[in-house]
Amino acid sequence: MKDNGTRFAYYCTKIALLRSPTSRVQYGPFLLMHAIKPPPFSHFDEMLAWSEASPGHLQTQFQTQLQHFGGQSQSQSHAKAQTLGARPHYVPYGNWLADTPSTSLTQRRAQADLLFRRIGITFTVYGEEGGTERLIPSDVIPRIITADEWAYLEKGLTQRVTAINKFLADIYHGQAILKAGLIPREQIEGNSQFQTKMVGVKVPHDTYASITGVDIVRNNDGKYYVLEDNLRVPSGVSYMLMNRKMMMRLFPELFLRQTVRPVEHYPALLLQTLRESTDIDNPNVVLLTPGRFNSAYFEHTFLAQQMGVELVEGQDLFVKDDYVYMRTTNGPQRVDVMYRRLDDTFLDPLAFNPDSALGVPGLFQAYAKGNIVICNAIGTGVADDKSIYPYVPDMIKFYLGEEPILNNVQTYQCRKPADLSYVLANMKDLVVKEVHGAGGYGMLVGPAATAKEVADFAVIVKANPSNYIAQPTLSLSSCPTFVEAGIAPRHIDLRPFVLTGREVRMVPGGLTRVALREGSLVVNSSQGGGTKDTWVLGDEVDPVPAAVEGK
Amino acid sequence: MLSRVASHLYWMSRYLERSENMARILDVTQSLAMLDRSADSGGAMTPIVITEAQTEFAETKLTATYANVIAFLAWDKKHPSSIRNCIEATRENARAVRGSITSEMWENINDTWILFQEKAKNIDPLMTGNEFFEWVKERSHLFRGVTFATVRRDQPYHFTRLGTFIERADNTARILNVKYAEEAPDTFDEKEVDTETDYYRLSAVLRSVSALEAYRDTYRDVIDARRVAEIMIFDAMLPRSLRYCMDEATKCLDDLPKDSGRIPRRIASEINAKLRYGTVDEVFDYGLKRYLADFLMDMERLGTAVNTAYMELV
Repeated sequence: MKDNGTRFAYYCTKIALLRSPTSRVQYGPFLLMHAIKPPPFSHFDEMLAWSEASPGHLQTQFQTQLQHFGGQSQSQSHAKAQTLGARPHYVPYGNWLADTPSTSLTQRRAQADLLFRRIGITFTVYGEEGGTERLIPSDVIPRIITADEWAYLEKGLTQRVTAINKFLADIYHGQAILKAGLIPREQIEGNSQFQTKMVGVKVPHDTYASITGVDIVRNNDGKYYVLEDNLRVPSGVSYMLMNRKMMMRLFPELFLRQTVRPVEHYPALLLQTLRESTDIDNPNVVLLTPGRFNSAYFEHTFLAQQMGVELVEGQDLFVKDDYVYMRTTNGPQRVDVMYRRLDDTFLDPLAFNPDSALGVPGLFQAYAKGNIVICNAIGTGVADDKSIYPYVPDMIKFYLGEEPILNNVQTYQCRKPADLSYVLANMKDLVVKEVHGAGGYGMLVGPAATAKEVADFAVIVKANPSNYIAQPTLSLSSCPTFVEAGIAPRHIDLRPFVLTGREVRMVPGGLTRVALREGSLVVNSSQGGGTKDTWVLGDEVDPVPAAVEGK
Repeated sequence: MLSRVASHLYWMSRYLERSENMARILDVTQSLAMLDRSADSGGAMTPIVITEAQTEFAETKLTATYANVIAFLAWDKKHPSSIRNCIEATRENARAVRGSITSEMWENINDTWILFQEKAKNIDPLMTGNEFFEWVKERSHLFRGVTFATVRRDQPYHFTRLGTFIERADNTARILNVKYAEEAPDTFDEKEVDTETDYYRLSAVLRSVSALEAYRDTYRDVIDARRVAEIMIFDAMLPRSLRYCMDEATKCLDDLPKDSGRIPRRIASEINAKLRYGTVDEVFDYGLKRYLADFLMDMERLGTAVNTAYMELV
């Protein structure tokens, strides 16, 4: 550990040299081994912290650490504020980084790109001719979460998803929460995501959202906030798995320095969850994909293969006497559980969008009769709608009688006159979103917008206020990330995947998305986002064996 | 197994085999071109005739030189059976079912496609040579090897192999039909192979199906037109002979679901019986050209039956 400390101090010094106290300067990438650009004071960086401006509940813990290591750099600069160091849980990684020549990193990054391309981990970009296959950039600097933080998040996620499932069962049956007056009835029944056809339909075990992707961010106050609950067909879990696979392949030595909790068993948990969604013994589970032109096609094939289930398209299925069958080389075969990666309205042209060529005619009828389980259930979208989001803390209190563990972001509902006038008056400081929007489209980021863009958006909001909500601009936490000019802080979020079978399960961590453009807060892959491997550390304080660390 | 998946696997391997066969044909064409200096001999058109690409080639309005023909069959984006399009079709079919093949198989074929695009940037089509054809063959061998070594002996494996052998038998018959039947017409008489050119032509035919060594081992004698036909049609141990391909195709069909496969299995057995119990004398009495034309018709019937039995989405 002593050796560890010495090298860490060396590392701190190198970073401290980069920092000019008054203004940010451009650093030549060849001056140092890695041109690491420090995060601004106002940001919460997951890896690096200024010794004074270090917010967050980890404060005391890493302040001591920083004082311990801060000595050397203090002598070079008069203000303690100039000391930048890695947070304790990043120390082993920081040491490794300081020891690794940038040529070696560059080589291994190129190797990673090649592997991703070879494995064909691509997504399809729409709007270009015929759709183009692209790689999602995968950054090799991991996002690391401590064991304690994850324990907190896991508890909060379990609570949140449990309450949401109870809410969905309630609004499609007894509607107790509406009767109690906690949510205005028109908010539910007037919502386009509320599927009236689902009222009274029995869903096995009342599990509506079997797979949930909850988007969580950390603000510059150091606290985590839930940004949205994705309850329809959340994607990205394959990138989580591939990032880990790639990191272990390229940097095996890193996994000897720290105990990183594994995520590779996600497909097994998913299969277990899907099998538990029905009461049938040994059910035939399939994964329904819109086909190979869908942007997430790689993920569909990947999960189907990992689970050992058939990957089907709508054309592979048919309904006879209200049972669903797939066409096989052996003749028709019954389907019991369908993990669908297709939106509600495309599932069945007879029940929903009649133009859908992707779905299966008669599927809804079979579903309503209980002859097939569809995961997630039809109509879950009503609970991840941005207009319902503000009520999630109320749901937790109402159904579970507990205080919410995870924070919601304060949300102004433009349908309320008071909120609307506040939003219109403060638009330049707010993020305004369409209630049904997804993928980073149809939103205004006030602080990043021009006066004209703000004025134009105000007109749109005024025309249809109930279609919009607004939230204060969170300063998403950042993490050092490889960019063209070296390593620089970029904003990140986190999407853990929560599985609900007979119990709630999840693998530690999730998908970390990173906004690769400087200053950008939009992490969606369709808008230039990348991903990072997400490490949740094991409980051990210092798992590094001396033999590995010593030189 | 899903019918759609069966169809993609079957066509995946047919296209890959087609790209390899095209490379073989072009490789031999190129070496013959060195013997054939006369521009009007029509020899350059042979690969076009073998692969029935006359219409597509005419549309390009190119003159029938060796270089043009090779560039067209190797790289043309509009010709469905060009090596380029065959490799792309292989990769697209594989991508559609990448969950049903092993990751090694997928990575191999995806890699082939990526490398091919690199080659496309660096090779002048008119200078396409032996090195490129060897590469195509090698990638095809690699994929078969990866398949052999990684995949479970279940339906995906059998459909993949079925595609390979149906395509290969079809190709061997075409090569024989064109390269050989024209020179050895139905009124075949036992003329001796005496000129050097004939020697090279026949050995080129053998080389195009990797059978030159096998011929020498089997006959230990000069290359004789009749024996060339015999080894390519009836040899039970030569991996590209009609007999061998149909033995394998029959085995694949026997390993597939039996109920739905009655008709293709019957047709394959019929074709196979003709090969098992036929002789080269009979073939020449009947007429080689007619015999091969019949065989190609049989293969078409088999292809249709396979499609109807397992792959149609009714």
